[in-house]
Amino acid sequence: MGLVEKVVTWARIKSPWIIHFNTGACNACDIEIVAALTPRYDIERFGIQLKGTPRHADVLVCSGPVTKQIKCRLKRIYDQMPEPKFVVAVGTCSCSGGVFDGCYSVESGIDKVIPVSAYIPGCPASPKAIIDGVVKLLASLEKKEEKNKK
Amino acid sequence: MTKEPDIQNSLIKKFGFLEGKIRIPRERRIFADAAPENFATIIEYAMKDLSFTMLCTITGLDEGATLGFLYHLAREDGIMLSIKLNIDKNNPVIKTITGYFPGADIYERELMDLLGAKVEGLPEGRRYPLSDDWPVGDYPLRKDWKKQEGANNA
Amino acid sequence: MHKVVIPIGPQHPALKEPESFSVTLSGEKIMKFSAKLGYNHRGIEKACEERTYTQDVYLTERICGICSHSHSTCFVQAVEEIAAVAVPKRALYIRTLIGELERIHSHLLWLGVAGHEVGFDTLLMYSWRDREVVMDILAMLTGNRVNYGINTIGGVRRDVSPEQAKQILKAMDTLEERTKYYIQIATEETTLIQRLSGVGVLSNKDALKLGAVGPTARASGVDRDVRRDDPYAAYAEVKFKVITDNHNDVYGRTLVRMGELMEAYSIIRQIINNMPDGPVAVKVPRKIPAGEAVSRYEAPRGEDLHYVKANGTEKPERVKVRAPTLANIQTVAKMLEDRQLADLPIVIAAIDPCFSCTDRLTGVRQQGKRSKNVMRWEDLHSYSIKYYQEHGIDFTDLNKKLAKLLK
Repeated sequence: MGLVEKVVTWARIKSPWIIHFNTGACNACDIEIVAALTPRYDIERFGIQLKGTPRHADVLVCSGPVTKQIKCRLKRIYDQMPEPKFVVAVGTCSCSGGVFDGCYSVESGIDKVIPVSAYIPGCPASPKAIIDGVVKLLASLEKKEEKNKK
Repeated sequence: MTKEPDIQNSLIKKFGFLEGKIRIPRERRIFADAAPENFATIIEYAMKDLSFTMLCTITGLDEGATLGFLYHLAREDGIMLSIKLNIDKNNPVIKTITGYFPGADIYERELMDLLGAKVEGLPEGRRYPLSDDWPVGDYPLRKDWKKQEGANNA
Repeated sequence: MHKVVIPIGPQHPALKEPESFSVTLSGEKIMKFSAKLGYNHRGIEKACEERTYTQDVYLTERICGICSHSHSTCFVQAVEEIAAVAVPKRALYIRTLIGELERIHSHLLWLGVAGHEVGFDTLLMYSWRDREVVMDILAMLTGNRVNYGINTIGGVRRDVSPEQAKQILKAMDTLEERTKYYIQIATEETTLIQRLSGVGVLSNKDALKLGAVGPTARASGVDRDVRRDDPYAAYAEVKFKVITDNHNDVYGRTLVRMGELMEAYSIIRQIINNMPDGPVAVKVPRKIPAGEAVSRYEAPRGEDLHYVKANGTEKPERVKVRAPTLANIQTVAKMLEDRQLADLPIVIAAIDPCFSCTDRLTGVRQQGKRSKNVMRWEDLHSYSIKYYQEHGIDFTDLNKKLAKLLK
């Protein structure tokens, strides 16, 4: 189980706190994010915790294509997070707008509003893909940190 | 399929002008075309005498010179009656039916926001569903509406 | 009058947080409630006009990820009616099968969410664990856990093999056993019953007047279910009970949904055992002749309605969608009348709203005062649990008990 080993490795170094935000999604990605927390995938055993406020979070996990109504809320949440902070776009909609690309009420992707650190495509992104994406992000940050130390 | 023709006949008996304006495409579906002047009385009759006690939704349509408003009513036995109004697009005024169906509130606001209908008698309230900063007078569901490129970078 | 809200960060008069709910309190009692909607408005109806019917099958599926099959089936039914297509019986049975599987996953999801809202988190963990049984079945049948893509205009895109049918029946046995356990908890555990009873009351008269649909309406004694009253797909050929209840409150809504789970298992067994042979789809021309149709579907949340108008081209003239939550949201204000702020999370969760509840903002104002504080959903959630703990309803023990029993 290579995935488990990878996760346990960085969990020892860092256990990120995440905040989940839905920017107008159909909820499919949201329930897969929550499913990642439940017993079968159980992301919590790796130290990943879902927090309620952006002020305590390291990673902003976002779903949805960003509707016009919610755009400034998204920015506000991002601004409230302390540095260092990272954004994960979960689902094809938050990567590029998905099926809603071109709709009049939609920005078509989170990176149109805030900088994104990792993209996890899928419609919806499965819990395995979500865990994999978050692990990849954190592994790449570890590498960066090591590089900076040298 | 005896109920639908009965309903059709009752409506024509009460409102002679509906003769030829009612069609039954299949079981449990009745469509009727009405004029704004007698609309409220038809709704009241349908609700009180024909037991169409549920308003499912109101569909707004852009039909070129007119705006169409399709009121979908339903009864306990599953029969749906859809009553249509056609109003001149230059002055698309309709009266609220929240007096009969309080739930009509949100559907009527949707008509105002997306199609530019003017609903008389609707109490003060927030717009739905467009965002607060959406320009007034911009009706996305109208056929001649064009998406403003680059106009939405707030 | 003591203040009840917890302010979040500095309040700048210039910064306006778009909030979704606005509550006026007198002490802790809710005097006025209003919801601001539109956060999820993506302009789907317009987008449907700009895409072909086939593309719209996939677009409507993504109106809501939890009841995606409901929307795509409702849409496809309307188009098939306009085009006067005779959909093969086997396809109708498969649509019904997926529809009931969707109802199961949605109700189990709801059970977990409701548990979470009152502080009964073990229920969330275990009901979502059981829900994975259904997700596996759906992934096996359709290739995806959510957003199944099973519908096409004229039928369905995949067939069910005898081997898969066997697995489905096995899964139904497992889930039925587990659901019986949840029903037992709901009918025997006083902490849960106390917490949910008398909360979010909606009288039968108000439910009818305000146009409530689905389990929300049925828990107030409104005997209405599109599957029975206006049958579609294969529902005319299966036997099932419409579950109603007379508690008129959140407890009633819980019982109704659990009853519907049991019925869903029964419907699925009938579907599997009586599935007719034959093709799973017929070819339908790309251009749909001019016409209109109204299609209804009993989604897990209630009646879903699609109106489609065709104009002889490959793209629809108009697609109107009325999702069930829109009908039910108008009852929430009535349900919260004279209740306290601590009831807000579970009352809203009990209508099973189709917007993500993880980050809603509530504006709370004391009657007579002009300034307002904004509470995040998470804080409202914590406040609500703390309030009830102080009033004698604590789920700590029940959480421990359930964890021990279900291990």
